[in-house]
Amino acid sequence: MPGLGFDNYKRNQYLADHGVPMPTATSTGTTIVGCRFNGGVVIAADTRATAGDIVADKNCEKLHRISPNIWCAGAGTAADTEMVTQLESSNVELHALSTGRQPRVVAVLTHLKQHLFKYQGHIGAYLIVAGVDPTGPKLFSIHAHGSTDVGFYLSLGSGSMAAMAVLESRWKKDLTKEEAMQLCADAIESGIWNDLGSGSNVDMCVMEQDKPAKMYRNYRKPNERAQKEKSYRFPRGTTAVLAQSVRSLVDVIETTPQSMEVDA
Amino acid sequence: MDILIGITTKDSVLIATSKSVARGVSVIKTNDDKTRELTDHSLLAFSGESGDTTNFAEYIQANIRLYGTRNGFEMSNKAIASFTRNELASALRSRKPYQVNILIGGYDVKKKKATLNWIDYLAANVELPYAAHGYAQYYVLSLLDRHHDPNMTQEQGLELLKDCIKELRLRMPIDFKGVQVKVVDEAGVRKLPEDF
Amino acid sequence: MAGKDCIAIACDLRLGMQSVGVSSNFEKIFEYDSVYLGLTGLATDVITLSEEFRMKHNMYKMREERRMEPDTFANLVSSSLYEKRFGPYFVGPIVAGLNSKTGKPFICGFDLIGAIDFAKDFIVAGTATDQLYGMCESLWEPDLEPEDLFETISQALLNAQDRDALSGWGAVVYIITKDKVVKRLLKTRQD
Repeated sequence: MPGLGFDNYKRNQYLADHGVPMPTATSTGTTIVGCRFNGGVVIAADTRATAGDIVADKNCEKLHRISPNIWCAGAGTAADTEMVTQLESSNVELHALSTGRQPRVVAVLTHLKQHLFKYQGHIGAYLIVAGVDPTGPKLFSIHAHGSTDVGFYLSLGSGSMAAMAVLESRWKKDLTKEEAMQLCADAIESGIWNDLGSGSNVDMCVMEQDKPAKMYRNYRKPNERAQKEKSYRFPRGTTAVLAQSVRSLVDVIETTPQSMEVDA
Repeated sequence: MDILIGITTKDSVLIATSKSVARGVSVIKTNDDKTRELTDHSLLAFSGESGDTTNFAEYIQANIRLYGTRNGFEMSNKAIASFTRNELASALRSRKPYQVNILIGGYDVKKKKATLNWIDYLAANVELPYAAHGYAQYYVLSLLDRHHDPNMTQEQGLELLKDCIKELRLRMPIDFKGVQVKVVDEAGVRKLPEDF
Repeated sequence: MAGKDCIAIACDLRLGMQSVGVSSNFEKIFEYDSVYLGLTGLATDVITLSEEFRMKHNMYKMREERRMEPDTFANLVSSSLYEKRFGPYFVGPIVAGLNSKTGKPFICGFDLIGAIDFAKDFIVAGTATDQLYGMCESLWEPDLEPEDLFETISQALLNAQDRDALSGWGAVVYIITKDKVVKRLLKTRQD
């Protein structure tokens, strides 16, 4: 039961060798960034998920909660970033419960990198881990093979170059919270506009020392779909129906009120 | 490539299987029976990798006979097809999968209904009015599409089957040494005396 | 597709091996009480998974002594698929249902290894994915009534499958509201 099953691996290899095309997994061709500021850390992400050159989800969530004060931005294979952070989240909860201490970002970092290293890059999760713990605000990144980086500002994903251009030109020491939020949002927007794999909206999460982390879902919405000028609604009866069956989910029962008899 | 064809009629299933066995460039048998009787009213026809085929068919046959002996009643045709699919699907995820294509013809004595199940080596199971496996599909499915009628009599079904075989004799690039035909109906499973 | 207090889910009926059509009555939508699962992809995996989910769904019902909500079912699908991360089932699942407590429509889709795509409008899957995206993106609008939603989803599916050689051979549509489920068989091209 524990661990991942390889039952279909050989069959799929056989299928692939015989010309059956391998379906494409959703990937978060992504821009994600993180940035430290005085007394906290902020991470941000775009909201586009792609399957090949098709936009699979226009408003997905790439910011994952690992613990109330540790959040993680994920790029790479969508299922991998989602599952690896969910797994870490539950392990962190159990760890905090058994030690009776608040979870630390370095513990999350170490645990994630050891997990990813074990899978030699086959779990395609590229993560920016950020949070506040009793030792202060922290910001790290992890690559799928298990390597990690520390930084005051970081970017990852297909839009990382576009985002890093903004971060490199405007980051300075001792940013305020508002400046950091502005910078991160601008860096993500740079990815949204200039990277084809990134798009739609900006999600953001701000973690400050001794304060609950704040998640800003769709912090910026620069790509809202305009109201359609015309409705393409079809008149009822357009589609030809050959047969119909109805399954009733409620029973209609006629009841007459009855008085209850009570023995004296 | 072996030929398997199945046709349901109003009150029976007809299953035709090619009689040749070929190894490399030689035909080594001309009266092969590619079927096994599972119950009194159910017949399994198979093609694919030699060795796998008979081994798998007889394994299924033995298990279904065992079920009948143990419980005192036979498995329904739906259950037989489901069981066979499941065995094939489990084998598919093993070190060496069975490469067997299957047709199961059955007649339900109580419901008075004939059924035909098509199962390929990937363990896809579908109930169909008529079906074929292998290259024969390319020739006969169009004929069956045009001429099959679920309410046809057994005689009409046999005529249709004859037309299918005629087409195969004309168009198939190899000699499959004719087909044997088995019928599953109210009376049980029987082999037709004449082959075509 | 999601509508106003209703959802619709539809599929074609073809089962084929590449160019050869094998069956014209192969439904790809499965009912788990009031949760609906659409499964496209390799037929053997469609059958295997539909049966596995039936087992898991029944086990949940017996253990918890309550019905499974659509979002719970979606997470079940996701984790079941991810369990086979390095030897996946070749499928494209879709889950649709109404939440039994809030009555809110729930629809979502998955890739073959279980990444969930939550959507508030529509979800598509299968060989005609590209065509369906185009149809749905233009035809869908918010808050459609059940009968209007039926027309929208039907026309989206019909016109998309006419531009896909591998799809077609009939179609079925389910329209699910809080008190009834209507299943309709559509008249389609047969080529």
